[in-house]
Amino acid sequence: MNKRHLFLALSLFCFSFWTWTSAQESSSPPVEEKQIEESPDLTAEFSLLQEEVKKLRLAEEEENAKAVTPVQIQIPKIDVDTAVEQVGVLENGQMGVPKDENQVGWFEPGVTPGSKGNAVIAGHVDSKTGPAIFYQLDQLTKGDDVLIRDEAGNTLRFRVTKTERYDTKTAPIEEIFGATSNRNLNLITCSGTFGDGGYDERFVVYTELVDTELNETVDLETPTAVELKGNLLTWHAVRQESVIGYRVYEVVDGKATHIESVPSHARKSIEVTNENDASYYVTAIDQLGNESKPSQTTN
Amino acid sequence: MKKKTLNKIVAPALALGLLVPTGVQADDHMPTASTPAGDLRATLDQLLSEHYVLAVTSMMKGYDEAADAEAAMQALDQNALDMTPAISSVYGEEGGMKFEEIFAGHNDYSSDFVEAAKSDNEELRMEAEAEVDEFVEEFSTFLDTATEGNLPKAAAADAIELHEDQVLSVFDNYVEGDYEEAYMTFREGYKHMFDISKALSNAVVMQMPDKFTTGADTPAVELRSTLNSLAGEHFALAAIGMQKGYDQAEDYDYVTWAEDQNTLDFKAAIQSIYGDEGAAQFEKVWNSDHITAQGDIVAATLEGDEAMIEDARMRLDQFAVDFSTFLDAATEGNLPQAAGEEAIKQHETLVLDTFDQYVAGDAEAAWMSFREGYAFMFGVGETLGNAIVTQMPDKFEETMMPEEMPETGLGGAQEQSMNSLYAALAVLGGILLAFVTLRKRKVSEQ
Repeated sequence: MNKRHLFLALSLFCFSFWTWTSAQESSSPPVEEKQIEESPDLTAEFSLLQEEVKKLRLAEEEENAKAVTPVQIQIPKIDVDTAVEQVGVLENGQMGVPKDENQVGWFEPGVTPGSKGNAVIAGHVDSKTGPAIFYQLDQLTKGDDVLIRDEAGNTLRFRVTKTERYDTKTAPIEEIFGATSNRNLNLITCSGTFGDGGYDERFVVYTELVDTELNETVDLETPTAVELKGNLLTWHAVRQESVIGYRVYEVVDGKATHIESVPSHARKSIEVTNENDASYYVTAIDQLGNESKPSQTTN
Repeated sequence: MKKKTLNKIVAPALALGLLVPTGVQADDHMPTASTPAGDLRATLDQLLSEHYVLAVTSMMKGYDEAADAEAAMQALDQNALDMTPAISSVYGEEGGMKFEEIFAGHNDYSSDFVEAAKSDNEELRMEAEAEVDEFVEEFSTFLDTATEGNLPKAAAADAIELHEDQVLSVFDNYVEGDYEEAYMTFREGYKHMFDISKALSNAVVMQMPDKFTTGADTPAVELRSTLNSLAGEHFALAAIGMQKGYDQAEDYDYVTWAEDQNTLDFKAAIQSIYGDEGAAQFEKVWNSDHITAQGDIVAATLEGDEAMIEDARMRLDQFAVDFSTFLDAATEGNLPQAAGEEAIKQHETLVLDTFDQYVAGDAEAAWMSFREGYAFMFGVGETLGNAIVTQMPDKFEETMMPEEMPETGLGGAQEQSMNSLYAALAVLGGILLAFVTLRKRKVSEQ
């Protein structure tokens, strides 16, 4: 659980040994503070009934059963087949790197590959002496496969959805590491020009889990009949077993704010202030923290 | 034992609505909702609409094989028995017995419909439908005879048939899981009971003009009936909704939806009397520490959160203060705050009793409280209605109408000339026109 509450200062790190050493010496590495939410804490957000909490735990367990603790990665297109180390966060807030330049590092405090969210694996592009394991990572294009295996031999297949090149200082940490309802695996290495501060770019390969069984899961329905009756905002429940509650958003001047969370066993209505020409919409939340599309907005 | 207790509960309501007036109506022309005809209609409003609510609810409970299905069914039977003394007071012992024979029996069919739905028994369903047809025939004949044709058989049959259709439609939609349709029909069917009550009380009043000197549909009595209907429906939906919420029944959200629609109707009624601002104030007070607090009590009970339950109960007390203050101000003191608060607190207690007993698994107590709480609402129309009528008597003035045309000639001129006949007719027409105009004006003033 403490993973969820862990405040991590992360920066994308270049995976050249040489640069790594120099970065450690650097007095002011670019540090950006972000909270990584593995998944929102549903038990804190919704006052759930015991059986609902049980349902939630079961769903989480089932969910985790799909994930694998990676020990091996294969990327057939660029002939990568190597071991996976576990890395964490360095004292300066940067993500750690694999000790062996011919292996890769899975960011262990984050998401496990196959779970919902962004799992991250980094590998070096080169060492002081020459190319390293992710030297050809930029050859990957949409549709290429990445395979992840755990100790027992369970294999997950991920497929590249896109690749991006970012300036080191402005890379979107949230997009790469942050919470998502998809089961993603993102691969990082260095690119660009090598200078005093190391490489000035990072190359990121975004992939998502290919799993026919998972793709068949029913889409979360959107709450209907959202109506404002005076100060009472009411809506109809989403009649899906997996729904544990609803989030209510208030929209003022085009800006939406989450104002309340209502558990599924409660009356589907809340009292709102209804000031400043506010309008409202509602989303449904399932036991894995997935959020439905917004309902129609009132007014 | 049980029967006695129930009788005791219902007795005050019946005493209040003793159908045959004993006193003579006040002489002054101040309009009031407390007339013998008003009492007659209120009693029929209460018993008939309660019959409907209990019939529909006990069928759903029966279909679900709920633990309190039997208790709900007993409440329905007791309601039927309570009608007998009311009918007897108008049509005598014999009439009452005849009524009971026809009416009480028809509740049995509802369990046949439930059984047919559960076992998918088409034959049983057809039998039950045939029995309903028979009941419609018998009961409409009875009403025609009893009212001496003032409620003609055909009209009575149409009204009863529609009622039976609505009960079945609610049930069938419930079984199908089409809850939106079920509760839309529930609301229509509920309102229809007040139409039946109006037709029947009008017929009785017409039949016995010396006993009922004013109509069952004067503006003040209409207001009383409207308020009773809104208050009674509110209670029924609040109590049933809380049970459904506690059970996490699939149709919970649809009951609360219907409850919110009832609030909108209530708001519209307030709007017609006190305008937009009054209506907006009503809505805010009504929802704030009342509708939402009841919802919170259900959720907190499920969560076992005693503090939240306590907090929600205190909010209900606050609602009693706020709403009675609103009513005092709106009626300009004709419904004094203290009296209002007292009555509202009693209502909330009855709602909570019904819920607490249900949660405790005491189905019999819960349904007795339900009946008591339902009956209590039928004092709202009279109290609040009279406060409003006293506040704005002009709006509720009864249009005085003669029963027959005036004798505006003695016939002596008949043979003189046709011209004078036309002249006489013109005078008569003028008087008629004056009546019509006067009446129209009164109506539009409302």
